[in-house]
Amino acid sequence: MLFKSRNFDEAKTVLRIEDLVVSLPPAAKVKPVLNGISLNIRQGETVCLVGESGSGKSVTSLAVMGLLPKNALMVTGGSITLSDTDLLAQSAGAMQDIRARRVAMIFQEPMTALNPVLRVGDQIEEVLESHTKLPADERRRRVIDIMEQVHLPDVERIYRSYPHQLSGGQRQRIMIAMALVLEPELLIADEPTTALDVTTQKQILSLIAELQEKHGTAVLFITHDMGVVAEIADTVYVMNHGDMVESAPIETLLSNPQEDYSRKLLAAVPSLTPRVPRPAPEGAPVLKVRRLNKIYGGGGLFVRRPDTHAAKEVSFDVARGRTLGIVGESGSGKSTVARCIMRLIEPTNGTIRLRDANIAHLSRKELKPHRKHLQVVFQDPFRSLNPRWTVGRSLIEGPVNYGQSPKQALKRAAELMEIVGLPRDSLDRYPHQFSGGQRQRIAIARAVAMQPDVLVADEAVSALDVSVQAQVLELLDDLQEKLGITIVFITHDLRVAAQICDDVLVMQRGEVVEHGPAGEVLGNPQHAYTRSLIEAAPGRSWDFANFRALGAA
Amino acid sequence: MLGYIIRRILAIIPVMLIVAIFVFLLLRLTPGDPAAIIAGDMATPEQLDRIREAMGLNDPLLTQFMTWIGQLLKGDLGVSLISGTEVTEMIGQRIFPTLNMALLTIVIAVLIAVPMGVIAAWRHRSWIDYAVMSFSVLGFSVPVFVIGYLFILVFSITLGWLPVQGYASPSEKGMLAFLDRAILPALTLATIYVALIARMTRASMLEVLGEDYIRTARAKGVRESKVLFRHALRNASVPILTVIGTGFALLISGVVVTESVFNIPGIGRLTVDAILARDYPVIQAMILITSGTYVVVNLLIDISYTIFDPRIRY
Repeated sequence: MLFKSRNFDEAKTVLRIEDLVVSLPPAAKVKPVLNGISLNIRQGETVCLVGESGSGKSVTSLAVMGLLPKNALMVTGGSITLSDTDLLAQSAGAMQDIRARRVAMIFQEPMTALNPVLRVGDQIEEVLESHTKLPADERRRRVIDIMEQVHLPDVERIYRSYPHQLSGGQRQRIMIAMALVLEPELLIADEPTTALDVTTQKQILSLIAELQEKHGTAVLFITHDMGVVAEIADTVYVMNHGDMVESAPIETLLSNPQEDYSRKLLAAVPSLTPRVPRPAPEGAPVLKVRRLNKIYGGGGLFVRRPDTHAAKEVSFDVARGRTLGIVGESGSGKSTVARCIMRLIEPTNGTIRLRDANIAHLSRKELKPHRKHLQVVFQDPFRSLNPRWTVGRSLIEGPVNYGQSPKQALKRAAELMEIVGLPRDSLDRYPHQFSGGQRQRIAIARAVAMQPDVLVADEAVSALDVSVQAQVLELLDDLQEKLGITIVFITHDLRVAAQICDDVLVMQRGEVVEHGPAGEVLGNPQHAYTRSLIEAAPGRSWDFANFRALGAA
Repeated sequence: MLGYIIRRILAIIPVMLIVAIFVFLLLRLTPGDPAAIIAGDMATPEQLDRIREAMGLNDPLLTQFMTWIGQLLKGDLGVSLISGTEVTEMIGQRIFPTLNMALLTIVIAVLIAVPMGVIAAWRHRSWIDYAVMSFSVLGFSVPVFVIGYLFILVFSITLGWLPVQGYASPSEKGMLAFLDRAILPALTLATIYVALIARMTRASMLEVLGEDYIRTARAKGVRESKVLFRHALRNASVPILTVIGTGFALLISGVVVTESVFNIPGIGRLTVDAILARDYPVIQAMILITSGTYVVVNLLIDISYTIFDPRIRY
C-alpha cells in the first residue's frame, strides 16, 4: 500500500488547536463535549480526524468555523489559532468575514447542503458577493473558472441548474468549488464522501487532493471510514467521546497503533476478503426469482417521458439459511428488486416464488398469508420505529395481527430481546432511549418476531459505526444459525457484503452483471463493473484488522 | 407547466358546474313554494301565479336549469327581487371597494407579519419570539368589531388623524383619498391575518433554519440577514403562500363586519342585506362569485409555488 507520507517539518502551521474545551450549558452538569483536545495542521497537509459517532469530530470542526449552535454548545477553554489569528477572540462580524475567505467547509450530504431553490452558480457566486467587491462579470468569470477546476462538464448549463437537477457527485463538486473559490488557507471536509457511491467517492477524493496540491491548502478531513483515511491522510488524529486518543503519521497509526481504542477501531474495519465458504445448501430454494422486471412509466400528459427500466430480467435463487448479497451503486436497481421481493411494489412481470407460491402479482388481500414469511430491516433505525410507540408495542403488532394473543406475543418479544442482546425491560421503553445500534437490534427483533423465512436487510448496517456494524452483522449470522432464516442483504458496501454473504449478485443500471459465490465474485471478478467497484473501495490493499498490508503475512 | 395550467383551468368547469347546480337547487329544495318564499307572507294567489310564471317555475326542473345556466353563461345573473336592478350591476358596483380593501389588507398583513415571523424564528425562544407569539394569540382572539371601534376611537376621535368611516374610490378620488379612508379598516382586517401569517412564517422558518443548507450559507460567511431572507424565507414560502392565498379569498367573501363598522359599500354588506331581505338572485350570485374566487385563488397559489420553489414542477 502506498501511503502519502510527505514531510511537513518545514511547512508553516495553518491551524493550531490547543486544549480546546467545548461544553454544554453549565446547567447540564455533564462532561464536556470536547475535553481539552489539541491538533495541528500544516500548510498542504491532510489531517484526518477519525472516530465514531459522538466522538466530537464535527463539534471540533464547527468550533473552528465559529458555527457552534448558539446557547447549546460553547467554547469554555483552550485556543484555536489560524495562522496568526486567534479565532476565539474574533467578533461575530470578523468571524463571518473569515469564513469562506480563510477557512471553508464542505459537508456530508451534498443534497441537503445546497439550497434547493437557488441556482448552483448563484450559490457559488454568493461567496464572492459576500467577501469581495468584484464587479459582476468578473465574479461570473471566477465562478466559471472554479467550476472548470472541479471538472464539472457543460459548465454554462450547470451554472444555471438547481441542485436537484444534478447528481450527487456533481453536487459535491459544486460544494468544493464553493469552498475553494476564495482559496482559503484551511479546508474542513466533514464526511464529504460518505453519502456517495464508491466510484464517485474515488473521484471526489482525488479532486480534493488535486486542488489541495494546486492551491497549497491545508485540509482537515473528518471521516469514520478507515479505508478513506488510508488513501488520503498524511496524519491521523483519533477521537473518542471528546478526548483525543492518539495522533500519528498515517503509516505509523495503521501499522502500529499505540492505544487500545485505536486498535479496536481498526480491528472492526470489515475485511474485503470474503468469508470462508459454508457447505452448499440442501433442499429446494426458499426464494426463487425469475425474469423479474420493473418498469416505471414515464407518464406525462403532452410529452411522454421515457420509461425507467429499474430492474431488467433479474433471476436468482436463495436456499434456506443462506445469505445473498445484492450489491450496486445508487440507481442500480438493488432497492427496486428488494421492494419487489417484499411486494411493497408490484413487479411489471416475472415470478417471485416464496416457498412454492408465486407472489409476484397477488392482490393486497391474497398477499396477507405470505407477508409474515417475508420481513424487512431498513437502513435508518432512527426512522423505521414509531417514536410514539413503546418497543414492546412495535414488536407485538405483527404477531397479534396474525392471531397471536398479546400476552403470548409479549412473552416471545421478551425472549427476542434477550436473543438480540438487550435487557427484557427494553420492551417498556421508547425508541429514542436507545442508541443507533440498539435500535437496529430492535428492528431485527421486530422482523424476527414474525418468524419469517426470508429476511430482507436493506442497507441495514450502513448507518452504523464500524464497531456496531460488526456486532449487528454477527447478530444476523447468529440468528441465521439458530432459526435457519434466509437473508437477502442489500448493500453498496463491498466490505460488508464480503463479511456476511454466501453469494453475491452485482447490479448495474437495473441489470445483473455478475452473480456467484462471494469468494469468486469478490476474489476473481469477471465483469468490468465489478472490478471497478472493487478497485474503488478505499484502502483495499491494507489489512486493517491485522495492522499490515494485504498479503504481507 | 403550460399544460398544467390549461388542465387546471379546464378543471374549474366541473367544479363551477357543481356549485351552479347547488345554487340552482337552493331555491328549489327549500321547503315550500319558492314563489311563496319570494313573495312573502302577504302575497295574494294572483301575485304568486305571476311570480311562478316570471321565474318559469311551471316548467320541468331540467328545462328550468338549462334556461338558468344559459343565462349564467351569458353573464345574466338575474334581477334583484327588492330593487329590481340587474344583479350583475349591483355586484359590479360593490366588488371594487371589497377587492381594493382586500388587496390593501393582505399587503399590510404580509408586510407586517412576514418580518415578524422571520425574526421570531431567528430569535427562537427569546423575548421577541414570545412577544410575537403573544401578539398572535391576541390578534386571533380579539373580535374584529372591538379592534375596529378601538382604532376609530384612537386614530379618528382622539387623535383626529383619519376619518371615522366611509369609502373613496381610488380611481375616482385618487389614491390618497382612498388610503385615508381605507387604512383603518384595512389595519383592522389585517390583525387576524398578521397573527395567522406571522405564526405560519415562524413555524415554517424554524423548520428551514435547521436545514443543512442554512449551515452551508453561514459557512460561506453570508450576512445573517441574507441567510434569513434569501436562503431561508424562500424555502419556507410554500405554507406561507397557502395562508396568504386562503386569507385573500376569505377577505373577499367575509368582510361583512368590517364593512358594516366602517360603512364601506362592498359586497360583504350586499350579501348581508340580500340575506336579510331574502333577495334570492343576489344570494345565488354571491355564492357563485365566492366559490369562483376560491377556485381561482387556489390555482394562483399553486402556480406561485413554482416561482418560489424550482423543485415543484407540474
